[in-house]
Amino acid sequence: MSSTEVFAVADVHYRYLERFVALAGVSLDVHAGERVGLLGANGCGKSTLLKVLAGLVHPDRGTVSGFGKELTEAALEDEQFARGFRARVGFVFQSSDAQLFSPTVRDEVAFGPLHLGFDGAEIEQRVDDVLALLGIAELADRAPYQLSGGEKKRVAIASVLVTNPDVLLFDEPTAALDPRTQHWLLDLVVELHRAGKTIVCATHDLASLDQVADRCIVLSENHDVVAIGPPQEILADVDLLEATNLVHTHEHRHRNGIHTHRHDLDHHRPSISANWEADELRTHSTERGTPTS
Amino acid sequence: MTTPEWLTRPETRFGPCTCCGRRSKGDLVEKTLAGSSRLIRSAMFSADMAARDGFLQRTDARVKVVATVALLLVVALVHHVAVVIGLYAAVLVLGVVSRIPCRFLLTRVWCFVPLFTGVVVLPAAFSFVTPGHVVVPLGTWFGTPVGLTSQGLTTAALVVTRVATSISLVVLVTITTPWPRLLAALRALFVPRAFVVVLALAYRYLFDLLNTVTDMYEARKARAPRDHDVARSRAFVAATAGATFGKAHALSEEVYLAMVARGYAGQATAIDRGRIACADVYVFAAAVTIVVAAMGVDHVLH
Amino acid sequence: MHIPDGYLSPSTCAVAAGAMTPVWFTAGRRLRKVVTHRYAPLVALAAAYCFCVMMFNVPIPDGTTAHAIGGVLIAVLLGPWAAVVAVSVALAIQALFFGDGGVLAFGANALNMAFVMPFVGYGVYVSLAGRAPLQSRRRAVAAGAGAYVGLNAAALFAAVELGLQPALFHTANGTPLYAPFRLSQTIPALALAHLTVAGAVECALTIGVVTYLQRANVPLLRLNHRDVPLDDAEAHDRRLSENARRRGRGRVALLVFGIGALLTPIGLLAQGNAFGEDAPADLDLHRYHLQSVPNGLAHYAGFWHHALLAGYGFGHDAHPIFGYVVSAIVGMAAIAAVAFLLVALLGRARSRYGPRSGARSVPR
Repeated sequence: MSSTEVFAVADVHYRYLERFVALAGVSLDVHAGERVGLLGANGCGKSTLLKVLAGLVHPDRGTVSGFGKELTEAALEDEQFARGFRARVGFVFQSSDAQLFSPTVRDEVAFGPLHLGFDGAEIEQRVDDVLALLGIAELADRAPYQLSGGEKKRVAIASVLVTNPDVLLFDEPTAALDPRTQHWLLDLVVELHRAGKTIVCATHDLASLDQVADRCIVLSENHDVVAIGPPQEILADVDLLEATNLVHTHEHRHRNGIHTHRHDLDHHRPSISANWEADELRTHSTERGTPTS
Repeated sequence: MTTPEWLTRPETRFGPCTCCGRRSKGDLVEKTLAGSSRLIRSAMFSADMAARDGFLQRTDARVKVVATVALLLVVALVHHVAVVIGLYAAVLVLGVVSRIPCRFLLTRVWCFVPLFTGVVVLPAAFSFVTPGHVVVPLGTWFGTPVGLTSQGLTTAALVVTRVATSISLVVLVTITTPWPRLLAALRALFVPRAFVVVLALAYRYLFDLLNTVTDMYEARKARAPRDHDVARSRAFVAATAGATFGKAHALSEEVYLAMVARGYAGQATAIDRGRIACADVYVFAAAVTIVVAAMGVDHVLH
Repeated sequence: MHIPDGYLSPSTCAVAAGAMTPVWFTAGRRLRKVVTHRYAPLVALAAAYCFCVMMFNVPIPDGTTAHAIGGVLIAVLLGPWAAVVAVSVALAIQALFFGDGGVLAFGANALNMAFVMPFVGYGVYVSLAGRAPLQSRRRAVAAGAGAYVGLNAAALFAAVELGLQPALFHTANGTPLYAPFRLSQTIPALALAHLTVAGAVECALTIGVVTYLQRANVPLLRLNHRDVPLDDAEAHDRRLSENARRRGRGRVALLVFGIGALLTPIGLLAQGNAFGEDAPADLDLHRYHLQSVPNGLAHYAGFWHHALLAGYGFGHDAHPIFGYVVSAIVGMAAIAAVAFLLVALLGRARSRYGPRSGARSVPR
C-alpha cells in the first residue's frame, strides 16, 4: 500500500435495504491530492459508493480502507478514529436539504467543529472565516428553509469546509444549480485542489468533467467499474459512454427534417457549446435527415 | 420509442375552455393547500416581527420564557375577571412597545376565541349548568326559576378572558423571538437537551414535508378537477399521507448520515451565545412586579 | 381536542405534566436503546410528519372535512414509544409556535394525545391484528380500530380532566374557576363528537395509510413489524413459537384491563351511590334486610379512611370525585402489582423446573 493512498476499495458489494443491488464488486483507489470523477447514469451506485468511502454505510462483502485503516463499523465506533476520520473527510450531499438540519446557517456551519471538539473561540473564528470565504456572511442568522438552492449549496459546502478536511466528497454538486452557481462551484473545486485537497466527485455532467477530475472512474448500470482513465480518454470513448447511458442517440425533428445525433445528458445547458467535450461529441453525430427545401 | 397515434391528435371530448358558472368550493385539496400556505406565511410573519426593533425583541429569550410562564400561571390563578382584563391590557401594551401591530394581536385572538371558547362556554352561564343566583330570569322550570346566573356569567367571562389573555401572551412572545433563540432559551432553562434537539429538527423539516405535501396536492389539482367521491378522495389523502411518511423516513436516514459525516456521535451539542444584560434584569423585575401586583389585587378583591 | 390555557387549573396541569415526566423519560431511554444514534433524526421526522398529518383535511360524507391526530398511526408505524415523543414534539410546536393548545396545558394535552391515545390504540391494534400477515386486510382494519378506540380514549381523558374542574375548583358561592362543565356534561359531549365524526376520520386515515403502505412501500411497515410474516405463504413457512402465543394471551389480558380502566370514569356519571362504594353508614340497610353494618365491613372501611388516605385531605368526602379517581388509580395499581408478582413468580417457577421454549424474538 503506497503512502499516498487515501482510499482503497476492494471488491465491494452492497445491497440497499438488503434487497436492491447498489454496488456489485467495485474496486478502486484514491490517492492523496488527486481529483477523481465518478461517472455513471442515475441509479448506478455513485451515491452509495461515496457513502461507503465516507464510512457511512458498510459493504455487505469486500473491504474499504481509509488512510490505511479498514473502515468497519467497529473501527468507526472507536472515538479517536471516528473523530480523526470525520474531521479529515468532508462530504457534500446531493440533497442540501438533508444536509442543512440546524435552525440557522451559523448553527449549521458550527455543527461539525462542535461535534469534533473544537474550542469555542476557534469555532466562532472559523465559522466567520468560512462564511466570508463563500460569500454568505449575510445569511448567518437565516433559517435554511428560507434559502435558495444555490445559497443552500454554499452553506452545505461551508459546513463541510469549516473543519478543513483533507478529502472532499461531492455528490453531484452541480445538479439543479443555475449556470452561474455551477461555474462558481467548479472554480471552487479547482481552488480547493490547488490548496492540496483530495477530491472525489460523483457526476454525470460530462461538460465540466475536466475541471473536477484528473482521473475518471466509470460505473455501469450493472453497478461495477467498467473503465478508469483520464477524462479526455473517457470522453473520447463514445461507445463506452453510450453503453453506460451517459450519452444517448437521440432523434428529433427540425423544421427542415429529422436528424439523429448523440447528446451528453446536459445538452440543454446553455454553457455547453463553450466546452470542447460537447464539440467533440457532436463530431461523432451522424446526419440522417435531408433538407427538404 | 414509437408515439401512440392518439397522442398526436387534439382531445375534443372535454368541451370548451369557458366558464359555466358552477363553482366548486370547500375542496379538501384547496383546504389543505390553504392550510399549508397559511402556516408558512405565519412562520414568515413571525420571522419579520422578530426582526423588528422593539422592546420584547431586545429582551433575552430566557427572561422572556421564564416571565411568560410566570404570567401564564398568574392568569390561571387569579379569581377575578377584572384582574385578568388588567393583565390582558398589559399584554396589549407590551405588544405596542414591541411594534407589533395591535390589530394583529386583536384579530388573532378575537376572531376565534368567541367562536370556539365563547360558544363552548356560553351554556355555562345558564342555571342548568351553573346553578346559583339567577340575575337574568328566563322563566321557570318545574317551579324553580331558570336563566342566566351570576355564577355562570362570571365563570364564562373568566374562562373567555383567561383563554384570550393566555393566547395573546404566548403569541406575542413567540413572534418576537426568533425560533433558534427560543430553542436556545429552552435548552438553557429546564428542558432536556435531547428534547430540544428533536424539537429543532422537527421544526426545520416540518417545512420540507409541507412542501412535499403542497407539491403533491398541486399536482393533483393540476391533473383533474375536484373529485366528489368521498371514498376516492379519502384514498387520495391516505396515499399522500403514506407517501409523505415514506419521504419523512428517507429524509431522516439521510439527515442521520449527514450528521454522522460531520462528527455526530449521538450527543447533541449547540453553540450557546448571549448573556443576560442589565436591561434584561429590569424586564425580569418588571414581570415579577406585575405578577405580585396581580396576585395582590386579586387577594384584595377577594 | 387541544385544550388551550385557561380551561384547566394550574394544579391539574402540574399533575398531568408530572404524570408525563416518567413517560417521556422512559420513551427517550427505550428509543435510544433501539435506534441508538438515529434517535434524534428519526423521532424528529416522525414529529414533523405527525404535524403534517394534523394538517391533512380528511373528507367526511357530508361534504366537509375534518382533521386527524395520527397518534395511533405513528404507534403502528414506529411503535408506541416513538409515538409518545413524536406527538409530544408536534404538540409542543403547535403550542409554542402556532398558539394551538396551551403552554401550561401542554402536559395535559400530551397525556391525552401523546400517551393515552397511542398506547390504548396500539394495544387494540396488537390484540386485533394478532398474528395476521403484514399485508393482510385484518392488519389495516386493526390499525383503524386502534385509531378509533385510541382517539376516544384520549377524548375520554380530556373530558375527565375538564369535567373534574368545577367540582375541584370553585369559589365559596359556587362559581367554577376553570372549565365550568361537570363530568356528566363533558363526557357525553366529547364522546358524541369523537365517537362519530372525529373517530371516523381518525379510523379512515389510519386504515388508508396502512393500506397504501401495504401496497406501495412494505419496507416502511417492516420498521415496527420485524417478526411479522409478509403474507400467508410466509406465515405458513414459519413455525410460530410457544413463546409468541403466550405473549398473545398477555396482550388480551392487557386489553381487557385497559378497557376496564378506561371505563372507570363512567362510574362518575352514575347518579346516587353504588353499593359498597361509599361509607357503610350510607347503605340503606333495611333494603338488604340487615340490622347493622357488619363488623368486618365497618372495620375495613375505617382502615381505608383513616390509615391510608386520611392524611391527604380527601378522607372525609371533601372531594368525593377526586377520592373516587384516586381510589380507582390506587386500586388498579394494587391489582396490577399483584398480577405482576404472580406472573413473575410463575415465570421463575417455570424457568426453574422446565426448559424455556421457543426462540426469543428481536426486542422492540
